[in-house]
Amino acid sequence: MRRLAMGFIPLTDAAVLIAAAERGFAMAEGIEIELHKEVSWANIRDKVNVGLLDGAHMLGPLAIASSLGLGHVRVPLVVPFALNLNGSAVTIDKHVYAAMAEVGEDLATALGAAQALGKVVRQRKAEGRDPLTFASVYAFSTHTYLLRHFLTGGGIDPDRDVRFVVVPPPFMAESLRGGLIHGFSVGSPWNSVAVDADVGRIAVLGAEIFGWVPEKVLGVHARFANAEPELLHRLVRALYAAARWCEDPANHDDLARLLSEPRHLNLPADVLKRTLDGRLHSAPGGRLRAHPDYLVLNRDGANRPERDHALWMYAQIVAAGQGEFAADAAREAMGVYRPDIFDAAVGPVAVKHPEPDCVATQFGAVFDARAFLGDGS
Amino acid sequence: MTLPVPAGEVRRGSVPPHLPMPRTLMANDLSLRIVIVDESPVRAAILEEGLKEAGFLNVLRITGRTNLLERIYAIDPDVILIDLEDPSRDTIEQMFQVSREVKRPIAMFVDQTDSKTIEDAIEAGVASYVVDGLRKDRVKPILETTISRFRAFARLKAELEEAKNQLEERKVVDRAKTILMKMKGIDEEAAYGLLRRTAMNEKKRIADIAQSIITAAELLR
Repeated sequence: MRRLAMGFIPLTDAAVLIAAAERGFAMAEGIEIELHKEVSWANIRDKVNVGLLDGAHMLGPLAIASSLGLGHVRVPLVVPFALNLNGSAVTIDKHVYAAMAEVGEDLATALGAAQALGKVVRQRKAEGRDPLTFASVYAFSTHTYLLRHFLTGGGIDPDRDVRFVVVPPPFMAESLRGGLIHGFSVGSPWNSVAVDADVGRIAVLGAEIFGWVPEKVLGVHARFANAEPELLHRLVRALYAAARWCEDPANHDDLARLLSEPRHLNLPADVLKRTLDGRLHSAPGGRLRAHPDYLVLNRDGANRPERDHALWMYAQIVAAGQGEFAADAAREAMGVYRPDIFDAAVGPVAVKHPEPDCVATQFGAVFDARAFLGDGS
Repeated sequence: MTLPVPAGEVRRGSVPPHLPMPRTLMANDLSLRIVIVDESPVRAAILEEGLKEAGFLNVLRITGRTNLLERIYAIDPDVILIDLEDPSRDTIEQMFQVSREVKRPIAMFVDQTDSKTIEDAIEAGVASYVVDGLRKDRVKPILETTISRFRAFARLKAELEEAKNQLEERKVVDRAKTILMKMKGIDEEAAYGLLRRTAMNEKKRIADIAQSIITAAELLR
């Protein structure tokens, strides 16, 4: 039995890793996973770097930024498994949302919500009031990029018309209540937590902005991947078996209870169940904002770490002004994602989701990631 | 930065008490603004004192997470020392990445190549952010003091925990002795002797044997 120390952040999309550790899937592969609840993504990156953790639940863009040495010292990481696709949402302060409801847009659609927010932002500017402040969980995160696309869809320049800050997920609702921020983009269940506390309204689900967003991954240090390929294969197989179990709605009650335990997420099981089922209340006791792809844990090849996803995320990093474009860096980013390791461990899986470089946003802003490379490679 | 110690007399890294602190080296650093972000008031106090003793006079403590960024902007520190288990780390890193108001950090943990210091810092539980314009040799003593202070705090906590456990164990052993004295009609010394012999024979701790006697006595009551 090999023991591996794995870090996670208390979020619903740590489900596959937690289930692998706690429901016997790792054991079946001769691995004992020791879970470590962490408080920040920076902590996860640093502990993986020095070997205090063997691997962790990680943001896809964090794995890429760390490997490229963007924003921090370079930590070469390997991503052999994608833990989920989608799963986040944008929540707006309830007073700002009330103002959005008055400008004559259909808030039930992603585009309507974006345009209503755009009108509110312009109105504030005309009145000479302070710009709105939006929070995301980490600079290099799909949450940041989702928020930027959402704002752009409403005619807002994310770099000039609003302020951006980073707030840890457990402090989002409180920061909204205190008026420090006016909206945020975060993974589940923290949007629902803000709704239940009656401080925010869910304006749009991530899946409504893009069809498929590469989200959390298993990230391990390149050192580990190179030294113990066979152990890594076993780990990937354990995670794949856990992911299949997590995807099955018949297991969602059990999974929600497992995640709700204090040592994991320490949140009510019914809130977690809603996020697993993709049925979120947009306001307390209010209309459900539901999407079949709200959170995808296994189906349609979601666990295969596609190189195109890595390229798409690198393109988002460049578009957000977080790094200068370089073709070498783009290729290096693609190399962080390792479908070859996944295939060797699990075998072929049917991948149904569209390639992210041809995914159109709801707002028509198609992002051609491959154009970055220029040579079609 | 080597300390002027007599060759062959003192081990590296230790300063004999009769030697004055090398003022010329520390004088440069007096102006450094060092911010400590730590929710533990005891550790923050230990850190602050340690840094001041080492010659850094401009040390500030920040508590609470409300409006952390604005308070850091206002102080405009040269160095930020933060507890590794503080969730605000992501917030502070982002501030360095995007802010045009704050100078960019040259590095975290002094220097990327100095992996031993990185490991020491992380294992001790300290993360540090160093803003631009500082030379490595000026930052290193700050980090070293911080790491040793974090370790001192951890030791203190462990000792406190052990003292508490010992007190608990003594209570358990005393109760077990009383039970044995009553049931077997023996004196305290004999009761303790019996506990000790049983512990030795069964290769267990005296406190564990005492606990099982208490449990058994409660079951049989």
